[in-house]
Amino acid sequence: MISPVKIWRNQKKIKTLLGCKGKIISWSKIHVPPAGFENQAPYVVVIVSLESGKNYTAQFVDWEEEHLRIGQRVRAVLRRTREPGEEGVIPYGVKFKPL
Amino acid sequence: MDVNIIAGSTTKFGELWHVSPRDMVRQVVEDVIDQAMISRSKLQAIFIGNMLSSSLGGQDHLGAFFAEELGLSIPAVKVEGACASGGLAVHTGCLAIMSGLYDTVLVVGVEKMTDYKPETVASVLMGAGSEAEREAGLTFPALYALMTRVHMKKWSTTEKDLAYVSVKNHFHASLNSHAQFPYQVTLEQVLKSPVIASPLKLLDCSPITDGAAAIILTRNKKAAIRNKTVSIIASVVATDTLGLAEREDLSSLKASVIAAKNAYHQSGISPKDIDVVEVHDCFTIAEIIAMEDLGFFPKGKASFAIKEGVTKLGGYPVVNTSGGLKASGHPVGATGVKQVVEIYQQLTGRGGKKQVKDARIGLTHNVGGSGATAVIHILKCL
Repeated sequence: MISPVKIWRNQKKIKTLLGCKGKIISWSKIHVPPAGFENQAPYVVVIVSLESGKNYTAQFVDWEEEHLRIGQRVRAVLRRTREPGEEGVIPYGVKFKPL
Repeated sequence: MDVNIIAGSTTKFGELWHVSPRDMVRQVVEDVIDQAMISRSKLQAIFIGNMLSSSLGGQDHLGAFFAEELGLSIPAVKVEGACASGGLAVHTGCLAIMSGLYDTVLVVGVEKMTDYKPETVASVLMGAGSEAEREAGLTFPALYALMTRVHMKKWSTTEKDLAYVSVKNHFHASLNSHAQFPYQVTLEQVLKSPVIASPLKLLDCSPITDGAAAIILTRNKKAAIRNKTVSIIASVVATDTLGLAEREDLSSLKASVIAAKNAYHQSGISPKDIDVVEVHDCFTIAEIIAMEDLGFFPKGKASFAIKEGVTKLGGYPVVNTSGGLKASGHPVGATGVKQVVEIYQQLTGRGGKKQVKDARIGLTHNVGGSGATAVIHILKCL
């Protein structure tokens, strides 16, 4: 369920991640998606080890086959994450793109 | 621990569109009461393992729901810990006996999953993960795929190694009339099945399943089945971070390692004493990681042992005689209870065609989420 309040609250977290760089520590291409992501499949999800020392899990975008490997350097960008719910608010969040 | 099992039962696992959760629970409870040869009025409390009754079925308040169905007015509580809900319900039942307040309690695990669309089930199951994982569109196959990729890099595990787990568990399931998929599959069929979340394929994954399981726990050994008493000699729970990103090592489940260590300490048993094991093989990689985390094989060595048939019926220790989650089915809240039922049947010589000869000590390993909860029970036939 999409809550506009929750989206608003999460903006603060997104701000701290944007532009952060790191390396892929694992990845998977998802062919069978959960509800709300049907239009995006297949898509790639990565766990990234950020330069700050923290890890973060998000989708991988703008990739070519050669980027699908452990150790690939990436940067956090702002992207639309899923279909808007009945409230009509478009959910944005962090995704990674290759460097 | 003075906790004994005096009865255990499961429904057939599968796509059971003709039965409701009430029907399934009634069936297993009537069966365990018959087996134990006690009157219903001896039951003093009910612990119910379940994850999705609310998010899928719209039904909360499962304690009262099933107490009503059984015609009892005793304390009744739902226990939830994602796919470890059943194991946690057994643990809670043990605590209830050990507290001294109750002499005899009923533990039930139940899940009804196939009434709903797969996308919906995949989505609500992610309630077991972290917020960031839901936001990324992750699924459970994908979470275990992320672990698989790391295990492959660190220990040179291959897709073929994974496939051997599926082949073995389907072989065991072919001997289990209650299994969802009571038939064998070949290595080629596993390797050629469609990709769900790379590198995991359809036949690496446990299915969506309806099913229920029940046991009766008691302090009174005399009430136990004549000539064979099965005691729970360890009941241990450990937890870890909800999300994978916060873990130190993705090729191992810390909660399993801690729970195993504490369970061996509590029981005075070591892995080499164990004859039969039910591990949480929600995905093929999970059985490989579990065998290493539980100390049956050194890190990176489980794949080879599984491939060589060490853990197949006739080997030692025999792993997932029921067919595991992979082939017997995975009704999430029922799984942890079903694992205990399987070991109970093995230790009382009622394993049927899949009976492990002279099995005396068994272990169950039930995992919630991608490893945020691990529950281990060790059972011994006295």
